[in-house]
Amino acid sequence: MKILNARLSNFRNHAETEFNFGSHMNVLLGENGMGKTNTLEALSFLCLTKSFYASTDGTVLQRGKTFFEIESTIQSDTGKELRVRVAYDDQQKKKKFTINSADTEKFSSVIGMFPVVILSPENNSITFGSPADRRKFIDLVISQSSTAYVEDMVEYRRILRQRNKILTEARGKDCAADLLPWNEMLVKYGARIIHKRNMFLQEFAPYIAQTYSHIVDERETPKIEYAPTVKVSGDLSLENIIAALETKLQKKKNDELRFQTTLVGPHRDEIIFSLNGMLLKHYASQGQHKTFLVALKAAEFFYLKERCSDTPVFLLDDVFSELDEQRSGKLFSIVESLGQTFITTTSDKMFGGAEWNSHRRKFIIRNGTVAQEATA
Amino acid sequence: MLYTSESIERLVEQFAQLPSIGRKTAQRLAMHVLKMPREEVAAFSKALVDVKDNVRYCTICFNITESDPCSICSSQKRNRAIICVVEEPNDVIAVEKTHEFNGLYHVLGGALSPLDGVSPEDLKVKELLSRLQDDTAEIILALSPNVEGEATTLYLGKLLKPFNIKTTRIARGLPIGSDLEFADEATLTRALEGRVAL
Repeated sequence: MKILNARLSNFRNHAETEFNFGSHMNVLLGENGMGKTNTLEALSFLCLTKSFYASTDGTVLQRGKTFFEIESTIQSDTGKELRVRVAYDDQQKKKKFTINSADTEKFSSVIGMFPVVILSPENNSITFGSPADRRKFIDLVISQSSTAYVEDMVEYRRILRQRNKILTEARGKDCAADLLPWNEMLVKYGARIIHKRNMFLQEFAPYIAQTYSHIVDERETPKIEYAPTVKVSGDLSLENIIAALETKLQKKKNDELRFQTTLVGPHRDEIIFSLNGMLLKHYASQGQHKTFLVALKAAEFFYLKERCSDTPVFLLDDVFSELDEQRSGKLFSIVESLGQTFITTTSDKMFGGAEWNSHRRKFIIRNGTVAQEATA
Repeated sequence: MLYTSESIERLVEQFAQLPSIGRKTAQRLAMHVLKMPREEVAAFSKALVDVKDNVRYCTICFNITESDPCSICSSQKRNRAIICVVEEPNDVIAVEKTHEFNGLYHVLGGALSPLDGVSPEDLKVKELLSRLQDDTAEIILALSPNVEGEATTLYLGKLLKPFNIKTTRIARGLPIGSDLEFADEATLTRALEGRVAL
């Protein structure tokens, strides 16, 4: 897919900004705090119905304004053009997502329709941060390639909240009878998620091996391992996972009463990254961390490209400045081979030799406006 | 004050309390009431009070009724061996519209949802068990296809097991008249899960 144009109204520091994007590479150039990342954030609203780092919709609203709006034309790989619009009304705290003027009832149904891969400084937490950050990463990849997974996740979260409510209300007292139906629900949906995550990680492994070897010449072997919440005996079939979850739930019964929260389930999964058998989290250098992350994101792109009906767009937020010259050169050559990309940067040094035309466009962003658009 | 009449303002407030009525609509409705003939307004307000005064819950199935037991529970034409369990009175209306079901109903009054403070004691579960008789042939669980409905179905399924009565749940799946290829993945997955032998 390609984002042909976008109009941002009252979105962060963009009062009213219009873009006509290039079909291949789009460089958003400007000093810090001028509104480059905000532009990528707006694109993420179009693809995922939400921001990739603001937690609530209200925070991206321009100060003093009561609504924001993003409107765009998105062209699918088959050439079909869709008019996509996101509007948020702060007074009613209501967000609307429309495709060709038809309201979308469930936002979750949009996920995967406009596949997107985002690489931003926030993503550093995927390799450095907590298990939750890694789960969030794989969940977004799987979600974009499977609507059934999105539904399962939405329902699993609801089950978790219902179950936790019983545990907190019980205040340590026995509540086994009340938990019973929710245990069964937790096991059923939890097993589906674990099963899917395991299948995904197996499919994903060759992608990361390939993209990593593109960036690094040395013989470093990256590995992603799945450490689910339960030890499963035998292969990770649905039946085996269900049995393991049931056993552990029984074993943790008293702990759950004491901690008043659900201690078993895919919300406690861990995903382990390693290089040449050494844990990335403990032993890798800063450079190796960054390389791993870039390889993950490039692998995500190729994975989604094969599984979604459309080629994803790639958003790179201030990434090149963090890499050394050799690595950023490698990344640049990968980016060149992808579909439509959006790159924010404070310096266009590395695009020096590039020719600007309808495929490659440079936008100079200053105080929330496009000051100059280099095309010819 | 926004309105020049206190009565209008009170009426707007009342309308605005109703579900899916915003302030603008409430205002339009209030202005409409003002233009209606006095008799019609009186009939309208009487209808509102009558609902509160005359409608009660059937002591057998807990559906809404004006005579207790309700017309379904007291009908001799219905098959008394089958009980269809639903969440709300609205669901009875939905199933009745199909004209395909000739058994009795049991309205639970909701579904299990700890977040909303609904536990088994808040539902008419005991009352369902006490309705079961030797000639009860089947219980159909027709609850909503969401997390709460599913949990309630599982709960009731376990509870009914010792009674050795055939217990079924309604299928969830594809809408009639649609093409398989256009079904969303989640619905199709559920439909596959609930597939039946030919």
